[in-house]
Amino acid sequence: MARVVILGAGVSGHTAALHLKRLLGKRHEVLVVAPNADWNWIPSNIWVGVGRMTTKDVTFPLAPVYRRKGITFRQAKAVAIWPEGDTVDPLPTVEVVHTSPGRAGEVERISYDYLINATGPRLNFGATPGLGPDGNSLSVCTPAHAEQAAAELGKVIERLRAGEPQRLVIGVGHGTCTCEGAAFEYAFNVEHELRAHGVRDLAEVVYLTNEYELGDFGVGGMVFEQQGFLSSSQLWTESLFRERDVHAILRAHVERVEPGKLYYETLDGVQDSLAFDFAMLLPPFRGQELAAYDRTGENITDRLFAPNGFLKVDADYSAKPFEQWRAGDWPSTYQSPSYANLFAVGIAFAPPHPISVPRKSPAGTVISPAPPRTGMPSGVMGRQVARSIAAMLTAGAQTPTHTASMAAMGAACIASAGTGLRHGTAAAMTMYPVVPDYVRFPGTGRSVKDTYGEVGLAAHWVKHLLHFLFIYKAKALPGWRLIPE
Amino acid sequence: MNLGDERIAAAPLPTSRTIRLRTFVPYQLWRFLRINLRMVAMIRKGDH
Ligand SMILES: Cc1cc2nc3c(=O)[nH]c(=O)nc-3n(C[C@H](O)[C@H](O)[C@H](O)COP(=O)(O)OP(=O)(O)OC[C@H]3O[C@@H](n4cnc5c(N)ncnc54)[C@H](O)[C@@H]3O)c2cc1C
Repeated sequence: MARVVILGAGVSGHTAALHLKRLLGKRHEVLVVAPNADWNWIPSNIWVGVGRMTTKDVTFPLAPVYRRKGITFRQAKAVAIWPEGDTVDPLPTVEVVHTSPGRAGEVERISYDYLINATGPRLNFGATPGLGPDGNSLSVCTPAHAEQAAAELGKVIERLRAGEPQRLVIGVGHGTCTCEGAAFEYAFNVEHELRAHGVRDLAEVVYLTNEYELGDFGVGGMVFEQQGFLSSSQLWTESLFRERDVHAILRAHVERVEPGKLYYETLDGVQDSLAFDFAMLLPPFRGQELAAYDRTGENITDRLFAPNGFLKVDADYSAKPFEQWRAGDWPSTYQSPSYANLFAVGIAFAPPHPISVPRKSPAGTVISPAPPRTGMPSGVMGRQVARSIAAMLTAGAQTPTHTASMAAMGAACIASAGTGLRHGTAAAMTMYPVVPDYVRFPGTGRSVKDTYGEVGLAAHWVKHLLHFLFIYKAKALPGWRLIPE
Repeated sequence: MNLGDERIAAAPLPTSRTIRLRTFVPYQLWRFLRINLRMVAMIRKGDH
């Protein structure tokens, strides 16, 4: 009996675990390591952040699901990988530190035949002094952060009711952030909430971003076909900002956040500051702190991981100028080039390069979005790697049998811009492929037929539907397999 | 005015008809179907 260990129970890891168990049955063990007891549908944290949902609505306990499916669960945090074992035992192992109340702090070495790193992002608030809930700004990355943001938003609404003007700054807290879509979505949900409470007139909503132009979303923007014209996501996004009277500060790197004031640098080298009454600024992402050692105990972290802490997989990481980047540089099997039984999926794999044009200020500060790895591609990677490992274990395949390149995969982003089944709206965007392929799609890099955006109630219904469908699927309830990733 | 706000001020605004259609249920039911079909088509394309 072989053992497949999955580090992380988020979108990609949990998907991989369910598919592996389905494919391997009782013949092999599937073991998940994750520090949190609960699964979280992160996209709906936006609604927690405006007080329209609670933590309970967006989470559920993992242990009962894993018990029912026959998946072993360790509530623990992985800290080191020993892909060659050690001098005593050549079996590959992963070192974990337990986090459950009964076993907190206990160290365990778990052996594996295959290992999937699906540990997602480390929320790197430390990159910007004063950033984050432990500093002077808010976040919606976890349900707890989002609950705190909702409480602060409630206070802002009270002050507005009392006739006090308020400035709300929403965006990203560092020049290298990703996930601009989430910041954009939260900005428009907050704007909607202010109107719903009848206090919009005294509120100034400012979207602060590292994007070169609005509508970039870390994917270099999109080209849509609209009414016989090729239009841009930039124009489309700007129109929404104008309609809803949301201001924007572009090309900005937040240098530090003090109570009620943030300081930023822009691409043209200007240093500026902005006072605020409410600031939700997403952090930049890094890989989790995972070390790697060879058999003799020598530290090989730098060989396995990129400097940003993400695991290197089958991508072309050679340094080359932007013009020479190709869709084919992007990984497709997610197998580590160093160890054939090691994979990384979701945010945990190291992208070969950004998708948006990289840019620096005169002072050398990088101010351009890192590539996003959103829910849909993360889930698909989890499923495809599960299929490959199952084929390697049960059918004797020597190499991964399934692929999931972001240059051959689409993504949908539904950014809700207000709640309510009758009057809510959302901006729906789909793109294909995520990573532009200028050879297949000259000029635009993407299929114009499959890349589009629209605003309306229908998109809001889709967002709601996805909330319920994905939680249903993650609970592995009957028919879960039929719901696509 | 900063660069972002300059661009926003020049952006096209939707007509009142477009705004009405965004919450007009019969039309939105049709759009709902379209968005879902598009998403399914996209998922199929990415399946390898
Ligand atoms: C506010 C917000 C809104 C978003 N909205 C959308 C959206 O609308 N649509 C969309 O497609 N995407 C959205 N995303 C992005 C989406 O959440 C990610 O693409 C997705 O969660 C990535 O999946 P993942 O499995 O890589 O990481 P995660 O889902 O973050 O999972 C990581 C897992 O690893 C665990 N872990 C961490 N450290 C360790 C360790 N040392 N050992 C073991 N386990 C560990 C974590 O506890 C977690 O279980 C949003 C993101 C944010 C922050």
